[in-house]
Amino acid sequence: MSNRPGYGGWLQGKTVRKGGASSSHSNTRSSTPHVQSTSSTIFGGGIKDPSGRVTEYSSMEDQCPVCKSDRYLNPKLRLLVSSCYHKMCESCIDRLFTLGPAPCPICSKVLRKLAFQPQTFEDLEVEKEVAIRRRLAKEFNKRREDFDDLKEYNDYLQEVEDIAFNLINNIDVPQTEAKIANYKAANAALIALNIQREEAYALALREQEDLDRREREARAAQLVQEAEQERLEREREQNELITKLETSQKDAKKLVAKARASQQKRLSARTTEKSSVLGGMGFGMDYAKLLKARTNKAKTSIPDEPHVPLQDDWYGYEDLYVLRPSYDDIFSEAVRKDREGIMRAGGYMVEEAWNRALRSAVAGLELEPLVGLPLEPSSEPTIDTAGDVVMASV
Amino acid sequence: MPTADAETTAVTTKKPLYEASTQFKHWRYSPESLADVRSKLNEAAVAVIRQTFEAYEPGSSANVLFLNAGEEHLLVTFYVTRITQLCGHFRFPEEVEATAATYLKRFYLKNTVMDWHPKNVMWDIQFQERLTALFLATKTTNNPISLEAYTHNIPNTNPSDVLDLEFLVAQSLGFEFSVWHAHRALWGIWLDIQALDGVPTDFAKTQTSLYDTALNYVRASRLTDAEFIYTPSQIALAAFSLAAPEIAQQWLKSKQAVSESNPSSPTQIPPGILGSLEFIKGLIVNAGQPPETEAVREVDRRLRLCKNPEKVVGSKAYLARKAEQEKKAEEKRNRKAMEVEKAAAEGVDPFGDELERPKISLVDYDDDDDDD
Repeated sequence: MSNRPGYGGWLQGKTVRKGGASSSHSNTRSSTPHVQSTSSTIFGGGIKDPSGRVTEYSSMEDQCPVCKSDRYLNPKLRLLVSSCYHKMCESCIDRLFTLGPAPCPICSKVLRKLAFQPQTFEDLEVEKEVAIRRRLAKEFNKRREDFDDLKEYNDYLQEVEDIAFNLINNIDVPQTEAKIANYKAANAALIALNIQREEAYALALREQEDLDRREREARAAQLVQEAEQERLEREREQNELITKLETSQKDAKKLVAKARASQQKRLSARTTEKSSVLGGMGFGMDYAKLLKARTNKAKTSIPDEPHVPLQDDWYGYEDLYVLRPSYDDIFSEAVRKDREGIMRAGGYMVEEAWNRALRSAVAGLELEPLVGLPLEPSSEPTIDTAGDVVMASV
Repeated sequence: MPTADAETTAVTTKKPLYEASTQFKHWRYSPESLADVRSKLNEAAVAVIRQTFEAYEPGSSANVLFLNAGEEHLLVTFYVTRITQLCGHFRFPEEVEATAATYLKRFYLKNTVMDWHPKNVMWDIQFQERLTALFLATKTTNNPISLEAYTHNIPNTNPSDVLDLEFLVAQSLGFEFSVWHAHRALWGIWLDIQALDGVPTDFAKTQTSLYDTALNYVRASRLTDAEFIYTPSQIALAAFSLAAPEIAQQWLKSKQAVSESNPSSPTQIPPGILGSLEFIKGLIVNAGQPPETEAVREVDRRLRLCKNPEKVVGSKAYLARKAEQEKKAEEKRNRKAMEVEKAAAEGVDPFGDELERPKISLVDYDDDDDDD
């Protein structure tokens, strides 16, 4: 694509096809969305890729809602999003806001030229949500460690989520903003601390990465050096052997064997040296320590209350009977004699049946019969819609 | 120590398991309240039926001799004996029989015989409630039988006869299907006496006739109101003490000793239980027989004359009610048809408004203006 000299050349990015598959006739498709890449870093919107370029959303359907010019008329049309989340083309922005703050032509909110951002997402609601969350994340940066227990932390997260929801959906915006301001004032120190912590953590990560990289490089360099040394030494020995064979009167076979032995010795010595060097290098020790410290910290935190789903407060007459291991019982004889376990296949246990019978033999033994009419007026028979007499259930 | 405190409070606040049952909560009566429930139900039913008689044939109720509560109860007792016969026919286990009997008795604490009586006027033919109660019991006690097999074995019965009343019966039972039975308690006693001191080791083997006698007393107790007044364990103990008074006495004493030695136990067997046992024994011996056939025949003959006419197929009241119901249904149908017509006249599409055309999406896949 071409540069646009009139706008400082920040629309120099290439056009990337979103739908990728049929790039051959991309230009003939009227409604194919495009993601444009620019090198602009002026505004907050857009996705910054590692090379520092910002990817923007744009599509063939784009039309400026203010001047109605579209991509067909103006292929270089670039729509920007205002802080009230309305789209406008650059020429309109220039026209309206060059002379200072002016009301938005759509919602009349007073805007400045710098408040326009490139669009990242197709859906402006998403754009708004991402911006709001990005803003909230800066201020609401408390961590799990800042709370005494999990419940408080969860409440805090819930509140943050509520605030985000309110801002996104324009519910009670003034109150919510006031809440954020209050929070900011009350937690200024903690917020700053957490920002520092985050930076420190990022720094630590970077350092760790750096360290790893250096370690790898050092290792590679060492290997190269060792290989070189090995080669030199072998050459020297070869030469030595040849000269010896030339000059000495000794048996050639013996000389070769001796040379071999010394070579072996050298090799083994080197491997032991290597391992000791590696062991003593101590790279990554800091990181291991960090991990250990973290797990220790996690252990000291208060555990959650165990959840008991079923509260059993029934008394099963356990003290009134003792289940014996076996009974003379003609009713369960068939089951007990069933060696293949066909009758017990479904999980039947004769002990359970005995237990139930014994419990039922003592259950309610202590209850005395009711006497007289119940105190509350007994349910009067009623006549239902079908004309039948029905006693109301007790 | 906090843990010790927690334990003691836990023991004292624990509730006995039987008191959690619906049998204890909803189906426990005093003899007086039981009689009261029955007489009130009878009065209300008679009033309603008299009204129905008068509505269709003024003055016709004057000569009708309605059943009283005692006669209704006699019929119910008779139905329970018929359940035993049916169960013998199908070889259902004791559990099904006991459960069905309980369902039937509970059903007639909420409904009157005069409303829900034989679908067939011939006496001694099956009663729907009885069939339904038994069928329900096979299902709730895990002895399922297919409806076809069930009705096939009973002459003059259709599956619909059983199913028509099923919901009504279940509703009358308050959907409380689980029952604590005396025969299970009897089995428990029979097992537990083997742990008693002084009982010979081969007692259970040699004295099986004692158990059978006791079981027969338990069966007899099903024909009485014992299960509405006393707990199953008390009924079982009474039945057992009818068969073997000394061993029953010994067993009860051992239980009392256990509960006395453990004052924190929620179960403290009162001395008054002996009186209860005597009462149940009397009940079983005096009321535990099937009613006399002649008496039942007589009551049933009268029942044919005083049954709720709206429930008798072919009677004037039945036809009138049917007609009324049909009229209502017809009205409803007409109203609906009118509405449809009206809507059609106003030009409203019966299938609703036309759907909004989908917006042209960002990627128009149907776009066919490709030039290649």
